[in-house]
This record gives sequence, C-alpha cells and structure tokens, in this order.
Amino acid sequence: MIVYLIRRLLQVIPTLLVISLILYGLLALKPGDPIDEMRRGNPGFTQEDYDRLREFYGLDRPWYVQYWRWLGRVLHGDFGISRQFGRPAAAYIFNYRFPNTVLLSGLSLLLAFLVSVPAGTISAIRQHTAFDYSVTVVNFIGVSIPIFWFGIMLIYVFAVRLRGFLPAGGLASPGVVGAWPIFVDRLRHLILPVIALSSLQLAQWTRFMRSSMLEVIKLDYVVTARAKGLSERAVIYRHALRNSVLPLITLIGLNVPLLFSGAILTETVFNWPGMGRAIFDAILVNDFNVAMVSLMFISLLVLAFNLMADLAYALADPRVRYE
Amino acid sequence: MNDPLRSVEPLESPALERSTAGESYWRGVWRRFRRHHLAMLGGVVLLIFVLGAILAPWLTPYEFSRQNRRNMFAPPSFSVPADPTLVGRCVRPQVLFLKCGMHPFGTDDLGRDILARVLQGGRVSLLVGFIAATISTILGTFIGAVAGYLGGILDSVIGRCIEIMLSIPQLPLLLILVGLLANPEVRLAVLLSDALGDAKSIVIIIGVIIVLSWMSTARLVRGQILSLREREFVEAAKGIGASRGRIIFRHLLPNVVSIIIVQATLMLGEAILIESGLSFLGLGIQPPAVSWGNMLSRAQGFLYYPNGVFIALFPGLFIFLTVLCANFLGDGLRDALDPRHYSTL
Repeated sequence: MIVYLIRRLLQVIPTLLVISLILYGLLALKPGDPIDEMRRGNPGFTQEDYDRLREFYGLDRPWYVQYWRWLGRVLHGDFGISRQFGRPAAAYIFNYRFPNTVLLSGLSLLLAFLVSVPAGTISAIRQHTAFDYSVTVVNFIGVSIPIFWFGIMLIYVFAVRLRGFLPAGGLASPGVVGAWPIFVDRLRHLILPVIALSSLQLAQWTRFMRSSMLEVIKLDYVVTARAKGLSERAVIYRHALRNSVLPLITLIGLNVPLLFSGAILTETVFNWPGMGRAIFDAILVNDFNVAMVSLMFISLLVLAFNLMADLAYALADPRVRYE
Repeated sequence: MNDPLRSVEPLESPALERSTAGESYWRGVWRRFRRHHLAMLGGVVLLIFVLGAILAPWLTPYEFSRQNRRNMFAPPSFSVPADPTLVGRCVRPQVLFLKCGMHPFGTDDLGRDILARVLQGGRVSLLVGFIAATISTILGTFIGAVAGYLGGILDSVIGRCIEIMLSIPQLPLLLILVGLLANPEVRLAVLLSDALGDAKSIVIIIGVIIVLSWMSTARLVRGQILSLREREFVEAAKGIGASRGRIIFRHLLPNVVSIIIVQATLMLGEAILIESGLSFLGLGIQPPAVSWGNMLSRAQGFLYYPNGVFIALFPGLFIFLTVLCANFLGDGLRDALDPRHYSTL
C-alpha cells in the first residue's frame, strides 16, 4: 500500500510537468502578450518602452526558454506577478478567488450529495414506481439542461418576476451591516448559483447511486440479512447503503475538480468572482501568470482527487488491494 | 420488493431474448427499441429538429437577420398587427398558417423574428453537434481499437495521453484553443479564414470539440477490444492469416458497434452543450452567423425589459430539448442494442 502510494505520487510529477508544458506552450502560441495590455490606454507608451519591457520580462525569447525560466521560478515558489492587478498572481488567486470558489463549489457538492444519495436509494428500492420514474426523468433533465440557460431562467423567475426575492448575482449586497444580516445576505446570494451549479452533478450522482443500489440489493448478503428477519429498513440502511455509496465516492472524487474549473459558465451568469472566471479573464488579456497558477492548481487538484478516490476506495473496501 | 426471492432471479437472459423465432439481431434491436417510448419520442423530435434546420430558410416569412427597429421586444403572438411599420419586410407573404407579421416566438432587441433565428441557429448548432460527434466517435474508436489490439508501448503512450488530456481542465483549454485559432496573427488561423471565410468559426469549434472529446470513446473501445482480442474467433482469424488491420476492422470492431452507436448519440448532446457554452461566452460561433448558443450570449442583459425574456427562453429551450432527446435516444439505443444492459427507464 505504501509502495503503491509512493509510486502514484511519483507519477504525479511527470504528469504535471507535461501538463504545464502543454498549457504554457499553448498560452505562448497565443498572439499578443501582456505588454499589449499595458500599452492599451497609455498614450505615453513608446516602442522603446515596449521593447525594453519585453526584454525585461524575457518575452523576446523563444517560448521554451520562457517556459524553462517560468519553471525555475515556480520551483522556488514564485508564480510571478499578475499583470492585470500588479500583485503576486498566486496570492491574488488564493486570497480573492479561491475562497469564493470553495464556497460555491463546496455548497453545490454538499447539496448534490445530500439529495442524490437518498433520492437514488429510494428510487432503487421502489423501482418502477411513480417516484422512481419521476426521479429518472428529473435526472435526464439535469444532465441535458445547459447550466447557463438554467441560471438565466432562475434569475428571471426569482430576481425579475418575483421582484428581487433573491439577488440576480454578485457576492453580496453593498451597505449591509451587522453579522447576522451579512450572513443572511451572503446566503441569499448563494442560493441560485448553488442550485444551477449542482444540477448536473445532482442528476449524475442520483442516477449512479440508483444503479449502484440496484446491484447491491441483489447480492447474497442482502438476501441473508432479509432471511434472518431484519426489518427492511435495517437491511437497506445498515447493510446495502454502505456498499452502494462506495462507488459513488469514487465518482465524487473524480467530479470535484470539475466543479472548480467548470464553474466558468455559472460564475459568468451570476457574476460570481471565482476561479473559473479568473482563468477566463486571465486568458483573454494574456495574464499568463494568473492563468498558469490557476490552471496548474486545478490540474494538481484533479490528480490529487483521483488518487484520493482510489485510496478512499481501498480504505473503505478491504477487498481492494493495490500493489 | 419485499419478496426476497424475486430479487435474486437472473435478469432476462440475452440468449433467450435473442432466439425469439429466429429473428435477426437488428430486428430484435428494433423490437426492443420500439418498446422504449421516450427513446422513440426523442428520435422523432430530433428528426423534426433536423428537418426544421435543413428547411430553415423556407419555413418562416421573415429572414433571420432582417431587423425592424419599430417592432423590438414583441411578445410571442399569432396576430398580425394592423400598423404596417410593425409588420416590417418579409421574404414571402405566407408559409402554411404563418403570415407575414406573425412572430410566434416574439422579436429580439433589434426587432428580428426569434422563430426565424431559432431555426437558422438550429442549422449551425445541429451541424456542429452532428459533425463533431461523428468525427470524434470515429477518431476515438480508431485510437482505442489500435491501442487495445496492438498493446505494448503504443498502448501505454496512448493511455498516458488520454490521462493527461483528461487531467487538463477542459474549459480553459477550449478557451486557449479557440483564442489561438480565431486570432489573425496565427498562420494556421489565416490559412483557415482564407479557405473558409465566414464559416471559419464553425470549423474551429468543431475541431476544438473533437480534440477534447475523443478520449472517452477511445477509453471505452480500448477496454472492449482488450477483452475481445483474447477470444477464439480472433485466434481463428489469425490462424487463417488475416492481417492486423483486417482483424481490427472486420472482426473486432463489429462487436463493439453497439457501444459506439450509443456513445455517438450521447456525444451529440455533449457537443451541442459545449458549442452553446462557448458561444455563450462569446468564443464560439461569431455573429453574423447565428447559433443557439450565441443567441443567448447577450440575452441575459434583456431579462429586465418587458418581453425581453423570450430572447433567452427559446434558444435555450431548443438546446435543452435537443440534448434531452439525444440522451433519451442514447438510453433507448443502449437497451435495444445490448439486452444485457438493463434499462434505467
């Protein structure tokens, strides 16, 4: 197990290197550079300034030289300066963007998990009932609905038609004072984006939970539990549920990083200042350092969660052995 | 459910199912597919959408790009206004029951007929969806089959590639690729716009979707081929001296065709969602071309206008219905093509 863990951890390093090379290469191939952003709206900016700054930042060198230098700095823990904001890129992302993303994605994750496990379970143990059919249809809707359109429609209903029953977007309203009102205000701003963002995962996990449960309740030990006279409730919740949640945990591990990067559409619709939007904006204005630190962080998350999902599975299921 | 014995009964056996009165495999597929009402419905609706997209320019009195500043934000209605300035100019006076002046889906912020735009947008969205799904599935199948059958170093290299592609955050990668190919300073982009003109953004988006979506098919096919290649019929084919290409394409792939068809159907929905998301962000299909996604890109700003919601409602509804139908169809096809897989509906 330890050997397996070490081997997996060692595999992460070359994978991250290749990913960073691909991303950096693509970003560098993209025409225009950060200096263009500085020149824009600055009439006193001369060609000499341009050339000097390009040389200063090393942008006149081929992209692989730039990559090599970037890599060297990163290994010393320096992710460079955001040229949009003039402050360290890593600090900007982790102080201002990451907490918002964790809040939005974390709550979406929680909502999806808390709804999908009972919904999938009940749907499975009452297979072919009206409840089961409606859950299945709702699942199909959840995986088919474009998130951004769903978000826009939510805004229309709850913010426009119901005259500001819930805010149309943003992080918080200005001018709210007091701990409790601020808390309520933040919560109200979270409701719609969390519903929109969790819809896809909610549907996928419910469907997965349902089929996982359907397989488990056919197994011998469940029959045994019934045969020895346990109540249906005990059979399902004490015996079957534990084993059917296991594969879902793996799936959740694989889905978590998606919630971090895939929230661009939700963040755009709800004007939510999170990581997805930060990456989007950074790519558009060639702010390489911000784009790279966020992208590398998300790639690291993907790999870490893949590994954690495998490990969690091994810990929860003694039959799984990794060599 | 309370009868414990019922739950240990085996599912319907594929062998029994298939041997009904000596019917062929495909007749059995059709029989099982017809039982799946939602899938039938999905297929029929998709067919109607495709026909609507093909016939788009001839189905409405209005042309999709014709503006009428006198009649902006008109609500959906089948009545013809008395004031001729509100009617505006039509290409033809009447199509079936649709008269010039009727806007069944309303008009947008420039007074353009939303129905005409939805139909025209469907052309682009469905075209992108179908082409991207088809090519991505073929590419994924090819890569997966070759990796699975040949094995060895090639297989590990392809496996690592798939893993890396799946670890890179998808949407940002899409953004970079689209930005790259849309920029006039990149040589490939210049080449593309010389060759394609206005259709460039469509080709770019198709290409980008393919680049980012072949992996799941490749994985799936590889897994299937890995188990199939150990079977006797492959040994037999080798024994009579069949070439590797012949074994892969004539003996192995026909056995995974059902999985590939299902995958292609699901990929159709996926591709349409990716296209609409990118176009919504302003990076996909560029105006004056119109797709369901780019119709939505400015729509959010009009939510507070009277009747402004229809600009957002209809294109999104059509994306949703198309993807929903594709998913119903895929689910039905999975059950019909592979009886061992039990239905979720």
